[in-house]
Amino acid sequence: MGVVASVPPDTIRIHTAENVSLGYATAGVGSRLVAQVVDNIIAYILFFIALIGGLAVANTASSTQGAAFGVGAAIAFATLVYAAYFFVSELVTGGRTLGKSVMGLRVLRVNGAAPDFAAIAVRNIVRVIDATGIGLIVMFFHPLSRRLGDLAAGTVVVRERPTLRLAAVSAPPPLIVRTPDAGPPIDGIERLSSAEHNALRVFLSRPGLAPEQRHRLAAELGSRMCDRLQLPPGAPERMWPPELLLERLYLQLDQRLR
Amino acid sequence: MSLDTFIAERQPRWTELEAAVKRARRGKLRALSADELERFGQLQRHVSSDLAIARRDYPDAAVTEYLNALSARAHPLLYRGTPMRLAAVPHFYATGLPRAFRAAWPYIVASLALLVLGFLAGWLAVDLRPDLRSSLVPASLFDQMARGRIQGNVPDAPIAASFIIQNNIRVALICFAGGVLIGLPTAFVLLSNGWMLGTIAAAVHLGGYDLQFWSLIVPHGVIELSIIVIAGGTGLMLGDAILRPGPLRRGDALAVAARRVVSLAIGAATLLIVAGILEAFVSPSGLPEAAKLAIGASAGTLLYSWLILGGRERRRVKRVNLDRLRRASA
Repeated sequence: MGVVASVPPDTIRIHTAENVSLGYATAGVGSRLVAQVVDNIIAYILFFIALIGGLAVANTASSTQGAAFGVGAAIAFATLVYAAYFFVSELVTGGRTLGKSVMGLRVLRVNGAAPDFAAIAVRNIVRVIDATGIGLIVMFFHPLSRRLGDLAAGTVVVRERPTLRLAAVSAPPPLIVRTPDAGPPIDGIERLSSAEHNALRVFLSRPGLAPEQRHRLAAELGSRMCDRLQLPPGAPERMWPPELLLERLYLQLDQRLR
Repeated sequence: MSLDTFIAERQPRWTELEAAVKRARRGKLRALSADELERFGQLQRHVSSDLAIARRDYPDAAVTEYLNALSARAHPLLYRGTPMRLAAVPHFYATGLPRAFRAAWPYIVASLALLVLGFLAGWLAVDLRPDLRSSLVPASLFDQMARGRIQGNVPDAPIAASFIIQNNIRVALICFAGGVLIGLPTAFVLLSNGWMLGTIAAAVHLGGYDLQFWSLIVPHGVIELSIIVIAGGTGLMLGDAILRPGPLRRGDALAVAARRVVSLAIGAATLLIVAGILEAFVSPSGLPEAAKLAIGASAGTLLYSWLILGGRERRRVKRVNLDRLRRASA
């Protein structure tokens, strides 16, 4: 309870065997349609290649009977290639057809596993129903944008996030600190933990705040910190300018937690 | 622990997993050696636990987002169903398909009932209102019958076969897929196919061309209709899963049922190739009627002995009499 409430509506949470929940952002109708169009173009190109190739082979037949057989086989083969493209490309790529990977999408089972043969078979067979337009309507109303084929196969199409670069994530943003040193030790600093450290850091590294706005925020944050430090009403720390308090607090806490 | 220390300490294994994920992507982990594979599992678990810590301690930090994205990419590489192997296909046809057929029998019976219902309704319609016959059945059929030949042109047969096969496979797959709409399209396909056959059969009966007609239908029809009925059964099964999900949620019940019977639907649909070849080459051929009927009958016998007998466990296990063994060895 409680954890789930903060999940945005288009996110699917998967509880892994390690008992950690992973969040996947589901793909919207728009990006899925574009992926579908791309896949369709590729499938049609393959269809015509197969058809022309098949007819060329049929043309070499000596008898009328043989040629007719060849034409039939060529048409059947081309249609098979068209239908098989969606199925086989999903199977081979583990749920990332060319169209999907262009749009950064992939198919997952709702338990977070990669789709297996049965799942891919079901969602591609049910495509005949979805292609009538029903799929679009269902996707439009479904909170996770699933079509009927997804529902029957127990799959969902998710967005693979544009890869966050570790360097960008781990490089700490520059702190805006004016105090030259950490100042005298603050009483009760052992009551603070990494949560406060994090909050102070977010505040201190935040650029572009108007001075009076920054001051107001600092005052609010400072009084909360004083409460958490359980400082008595007359403590000298309460007399410090709030921004100085926060800076010293951060520097000392940073030293402690290191 | 401060965020910086957290990142500095654990960063190496994140980059290691990131590299492993990149390497694995193309070959689905197959590119990794046994040692690397073991390491991959370890890293995945480490990063999972780092994600859990980051969620708790630094919920708004960009690193949490990064760890989630990294685990999300690694997770499906490790967790996946049993891969499909081509070597398993013959075994599936030998045992899996007949077993799936028998397991689905109540639905297949229901499916057959719908087809028969459509047939009887069609027959009755023609029987009660013979004046409507011309609107129900194409008149050209009677002309052909009267001239004693209902035959396709032989050179067309291969093209016809390819279209017949494709159309039938499509119908069979619609029967399965229709299950997601509580089986209504499935029921419609079954009823309308039965109706069509019923009206034509009744009209032909009125004209007195029974033997000719049935010799045209039976050679391929036994297999073709059986498969439509089986595919219909799978669709009805899905519809039933939605209507009576039992302890599961409706969506989950549908997914469970669909995964279970999809191979039956696909396996059955592939048999339509046999039916299509019979339909194109045997049914319209100049063979005597008796021979055509015999071909249909033997195709049906083969089909059902396979479906009913295939993949059964041996019932009789040889009993070993321990007393006798002991006496013999003494």
